[in-house]
Amino acid sequence: MADKQNPETGGQATVTLTIDGLTVTVPRGYTVLEAARSIGINIPTFCWHPKLKPVGACRICYVEIEKFPKLQVSCATVAMDGMVVHTNTDQVKNGRRAVLEFILLNHPLDCPTCDKGGECDLQNLTFAHGLDDSRFAFQKYRFVDDDMTTTFDDKRIGPEIILNRNRCILCYKCVRANKEAFGEYDLGAYERGNITEINAAPGRQVANPFSGNLVEICPVGALTNTDWRYKIRVWLTKTTPSICNFSSSGTNILFYKEDHKNKIYRVTSRRNDDIDDGWLADITRYSYQVITSDERLIKPLIKKEGKQVPATWEEALEVIKKRLNEIKDKKGGVCIGGLASPSLDNASLYSFAKFLRRTFNSNKLDYRQDYRMLPKDTANNYSILASQPFKIAGIDDSDVIVTFATDLLREHQNEYLRVRKAFNFKKARIFVANPYAVKTADVAELEMVYKVGTDEIFINAVCLAALEENLVACPDRADLKKKIKPSSLKDAAEQCGVAPETIKIMARALAEGKKVTFIAGELLTRCRDREIIASALCNLNRLFGLNRKGQIAVLARYANSMGAVKLGISPEPVPALKKELEKIWSGLPDTEAYNTDTMLVHMKKEEINGFIIMGANPVMLYPDREFVKESLEKLDFLVVCDLYETETTALADVVLPLAGWAEYAGDYINLEGCRQHAEQALKPRFEAYPGYEILEMIADKFEKKLFSSTEERESEIDRLLKVDTTLPWPDGFVEVKTAEIEIEKDYPLALFLCDDPHHCGHLTEKANSLVNFCGEAYIEMAEEQARAYNLNEGDSVRLESPIGKIIVPLKISEHLDNQVVLVPRNFTSHPVTSLLMRKRRIDWVRISKVAE
Amino acid sequence: MFYSPVITNAAEAVKNEKLHLFRFVEDSEQVKIGTYEAHGGYQAWKKALTSMQPAQIVEEVKKSGLRGRGGAGFPTGMKWSFIPKDSPKPRYLICNADESEPGTCKDRVLMERDPHAVIEGMAIAAYAIGCHRMFIYIRGEFNHSIIRLETAVKEAYAHKHLGKNIYGTGYDLDMVVHSGGGAYICGEETALLNSLEGERGMSRIRPPFPAIEGLYACPTIVNNVETLASVPHIINRGADWYRTLGTEKSSGTKIFSLSGHVKRPGNYEVELGFNLKKLIYDPAYGGGILGDKKIKGVIPGGSSTPFLKADMLDVNLDYESLAQAGSMLGSGAVIVFHEDTCIVWVILKLIHFYRHESCGKCTPCREGTGWLEQIIGRIEAGGGKPGDIELIEDVCGNILGRTICPLGDAAVMPIQSAIKHWRDEWQFHIDNKKCMVKTNFEFR
Amino acid sequence: MKDILKAIGRAVFKTPLGFLVTLKYIFKKPVTLDYPRKKKPMAPRYRGKHYLERYDDGTERCVCCGLCAAACPADAIYMEPEENENGERRAKIYEINLLRCIFCGFCEEACPEEAIFLGQEYEFSNYDRNSFIYTKDEMLVPHPRKDNPFKRIIRRVRRVYGVEDTK
Repeated sequence: MADKQNPETGGQATVTLTIDGLTVTVPRGYTVLEAARSIGINIPTFCWHPKLKPVGACRICYVEIEKFPKLQVSCATVAMDGMVVHTNTDQVKNGRRAVLEFILLNHPLDCPTCDKGGECDLQNLTFAHGLDDSRFAFQKYRFVDDDMTTTFDDKRIGPEIILNRNRCILCYKCVRANKEAFGEYDLGAYERGNITEINAAPGRQVANPFSGNLVEICPVGALTNTDWRYKIRVWLTKTTPSICNFSSSGTNILFYKEDHKNKIYRVTSRRNDDIDDGWLADITRYSYQVITSDERLIKPLIKKEGKQVPATWEEALEVIKKRLNEIKDKKGGVCIGGLASPSLDNASLYSFAKFLRRTFNSNKLDYRQDYRMLPKDTANNYSILASQPFKIAGIDDSDVIVTFATDLLREHQNEYLRVRKAFNFKKARIFVANPYAVKTADVAELEMVYKVGTDEIFINAVCLAALEENLVACPDRADLKKKIKPSSLKDAAEQCGVAPETIKIMARALAEGKKVTFIAGELLTRCRDREIIASALCNLNRLFGLNRKGQIAVLARYANSMGAVKLGISPEPVPALKKELEKIWSGLPDTEAYNTDTMLVHMKKEEINGFIIMGANPVMLYPDREFVKESLEKLDFLVVCDLYETETTALADVVLPLAGWAEYAGDYINLEGCRQHAEQALKPRFEAYPGYEILEMIADKFEKKLFSSTEERESEIDRLLKVDTTLPWPDGFVEVKTAEIEIEKDYPLALFLCDDPHHCGHLTEKANSLVNFCGEAYIEMAEEQARAYNLNEGDSVRLESPIGKIIVPLKISEHLDNQVVLVPRNFTSHPVTSLLMRKRRIDWVRISKVAE
Repeated sequence: MFYSPVITNAAEAVKNEKLHLFRFVEDSEQVKIGTYEAHGGYQAWKKALTSMQPAQIVEEVKKSGLRGRGGAGFPTGMKWSFIPKDSPKPRYLICNADESEPGTCKDRVLMERDPHAVIEGMAIAAYAIGCHRMFIYIRGEFNHSIIRLETAVKEAYAHKHLGKNIYGTGYDLDMVVHSGGGAYICGEETALLNSLEGERGMSRIRPPFPAIEGLYACPTIVNNVETLASVPHIINRGADWYRTLGTEKSSGTKIFSLSGHVKRPGNYEVELGFNLKKLIYDPAYGGGILGDKKIKGVIPGGSSTPFLKADMLDVNLDYESLAQAGSMLGSGAVIVFHEDTCIVWVILKLIHFYRHESCGKCTPCREGTGWLEQIIGRIEAGGGKPGDIELIEDVCGNILGRTICPLGDAAVMPIQSAIKHWRDEWQFHIDNKKCMVKTNFEFR
Repeated sequence: MKDILKAIGRAVFKTPLGFLVTLKYIFKKPVTLDYPRKKKPMAPRYRGKHYLERYDDGTERCVCCGLCAAACPADAIYMEPEENENGERRAKIYEINLLRCIFCGFCEEACPEEAIFLGQEYEFSNYDRNSFIYTKDEMLVPHPRKDNPFKRIIRRVRRVYGVEDTK
């Protein structure tokens, strides 16, 4: 409710009014409705939504205000000092009854077949306020299209949305949310008068990444999910609060489940204004199907004579014990390493680290499965940047927001909505800088598309602009010029291909902004030269004082990436954390620490022989697929725990079925460092076990119990999480090196790997609903570019890099520009990582048309 | 010569100094800028820009007592003074030329035959509120007006009455001619703003009022064509002269569009306070009822105002007298019905229009108009049931004053007055399943 | 001798007197029923075994809205909806556990589609517990239906007990 902007805070910041005889004091700018709800007086609404601007369309929220001649709609009337409001007089009741009568005139009475039945606002309000009889003696209006075949006038308007216009009461919530909150225009209102209808834009599907919300906010059954369609009645389900496993913000969700069948039926939001504002991305909404799918691993598998055969847990554990002990005895525990997924919960991750470090004395463990050439320890500028505190809600009240090297819609949908909200409600100035054009630019004041591989030069250019225009008062700003190259704005701007004027505007905004949010994302994290770019960003931060007047952060990508950092799953934990770990475990192994990359290299050299992978799929996600495969094949013994059979489990000697996140209770730490608890919704299906239990079982086999009790584990985690892992900013400006960028002859296009907005990581293609949105990989490129190659939408394109090639269908993008192509990496059928070279900064590719 | 051959009282206006709006409308050369300038055009704009301060103009218009001619009758000068003085945002002036009220066709005559007067009035108003970009939102069906205005704007730019650095004062003013999609609701100012922004034409909730947050969330003034066309004359001849016209509280002249069962339907400019009976029966104006029949009733201000019965016709046409008589001046569209008109049929036609033009935003108007059309259609078709009149009255009561914009009120006010005045006829219709009057014929 | 004659006389004349009641009833309409060959006709509002109605065109009336299950005080009804080829909602599974059912008729009253009725059949004995769970197929009236469901049920009962249908 506090989203209301407050333009003129004339006089005091609060107003006092009387509602139904109760005096209430609320902040200025609150509406009468919000004031009434704040003291528990319920005023019915249809069209009002806490996160949207009031529209006053449904007219059910009438109240009587003294000195006003007519009934007022409380959702759009701003509370004023001394107002006397009545919400329960006869006039108000008559007004509500009249509106309900009007709404029900053409509303079909098909509640028995309607999926909304039982949780329908109209049902409830009619029950509470309406007439029991209708005075309407005419045929109800039916919306029928020529191409409609169903008896109930249902119409599919999106992969997962079914529209029934007869039921629609035209509150316009869906259209408004789509437009205001999500910035999508694929749903609209058509026609006029009482035949006004909500419909998908002509020739389009409602397939935006937030489309599920439209169903959730529909007060009646006009928009329903195919997912929930005719499955179960809402009163038969129970809800379990949980956390999304595919968003790094830790979106709060509710599982609707049925205990007897041990099944989840749907997910709705559990509004948390600090985190998600009540909006769910579709990936959050439908990803529960990953757990409920029947393709999951049922039993442990053991490789026998080159074939994986089902086995019992006891057999599998025995094999693990025997083989790992062999390696340990022959070569030492340090030859055993591990890789855990950053989507696992705290307990699993911590058990994983403790198991490897304590049982095998090995420091060879990591949680990063998709970033090339990672730093080994944390003494670098990138780690400093990534450890900075960040508040999602802090985006709301920023007046300048910069998104740099990130495609928020694909990576951080939650933050994407926040940025849009800051623009809508606060008129924040948004700047978008990225090597390719992104959708966030819809709300941006300036979009700067710099040349591929010039990220650090662009940041240097912003610093230089501030210096040349004399915008900042940083005392040692003179030092900066010596540390960066090139030394003039003109050169830098030319190198990165952005006009100096636009850079100046952005620099001025950064200098003038009272609260600045600077967000960097995946393109920085994934980049080989992340250290160089991070150094440039450290300079930028120092020059403009960003961390003092706002926030600057690299956003973590996975549900528990922050947890992994804070619990020390990396080869070299942060010094403060290391100290605490030493205290808890009374000593840390001092063996050599390897990260994912070095582990893979050493596997190939047969210096690592045993490996445990938990929930991760490096074959699919790590650059250079062949290299990863070869490395893993060289292993003597590989244990993989996962929900499904993947490319990585195919190489394993023992495969263990892992329980999904809804099947056990666990804590997750989101990108702002907030610890959230997800409750257990289901009993683990088949023979799956949660990660921490699997590790406990393995550890038992080695006769080294990890924890004496659950409480011990939790208290150790609590102690670790209390450690402040924020790293101090460097003193003074840092040297920004020049990166070497390889150019491949004959490979003119830069390939960027991305996540599809409806997918994340390697599991989501098992969710049917998400596959309905996007079921296969595509190559996204600019229209101009496609025309140059004589390609049309949907054509098969051969994509070649020096080390591999794949064939994918073409998708023409509205906003991409030349020289850049995007391919999602979420699909098993298109192994796009096989095109990437492990040590490259830019992946150059060429394309050609596949002959029919 | 003219696209729309409408009868006007221009001949009288040439003789009578007071009737300033229609003086040149029968002059086919008036649309050209040369003729307009020769007739003293753009003098007021020059005078305002070179010798007057914006505040002075606002004051002058306030003093003149000019009131909005679009329907609501809000004092124009007061409206202009609502623009926040210290807002850093740009300001906009919009001329509302989306004239679609049934019976009203006054703005169209002005735009087609004297477009420069509109542009000049707009320019002065724009200067008064400190706006540098003004829009005229014309109804899409007024193709001829659009062409005329676009030509006129081009001419005005060519003669440096618009554009950069006008008359060397450093004042810039641009004008955009925008054609709407032809929806009645877009004549409502907030719906007009939505439409102009490219959104669906649906009225916005107020507050914020357009003067605070209008077009593109900037301060915006929306005025009617006739209002703005009056402004140059006020500047030229002074507010005191304007006050001498009309009555004390309703000063100035007003164009009345006379239509229905009269012998000479047309646009007549008269001073406010003119007698309605005289307007209908005087040979110079309406010339009496068709076929010399008896008069049944009159809608005095466009289809959205309540009826006046035959015995209430001796009323003066100004804001106050009509309000006293239980109706409104509205947009000045006088629709006359003679005794052979079936009132149920008239209301059915009106409610059909409002049902079709309801924007679909707020529930009472959207659903209520549809329901009313069905009930009244049933009565007209001979299927009326006892209790239908009470039902109509109840539904009307549930719509009146409960909607976002005045369209809901506009739809039900004529119905309520028709039931009040001719209840027996409605009852007869329901009881006997036929009209009480002799025939049921089409409008001519 | 006299005693003997007396005894014979008593036997001859008094014994029929003892059969008087019996003899009286021989010529009266019997009060018992030749069950199971004959059935007792139930009152029209008797609440027996449930049946599911159809529309005239043969489609099931039941849309599986779940209100009967919600209204059921004994929790005897279980159902799962599905979407048919026309996009309509109908029951995939509709089961009534007659061991739990208390024949209160709430389901009948709750049904918004007038799909479920409690019929006249009152014989539920069976050999195992699972047979008491009646499925949709067992409860749906056949289509096309020739006569009213009451007759249909009676006919079915007759068939079960081997009584010839009188046609």
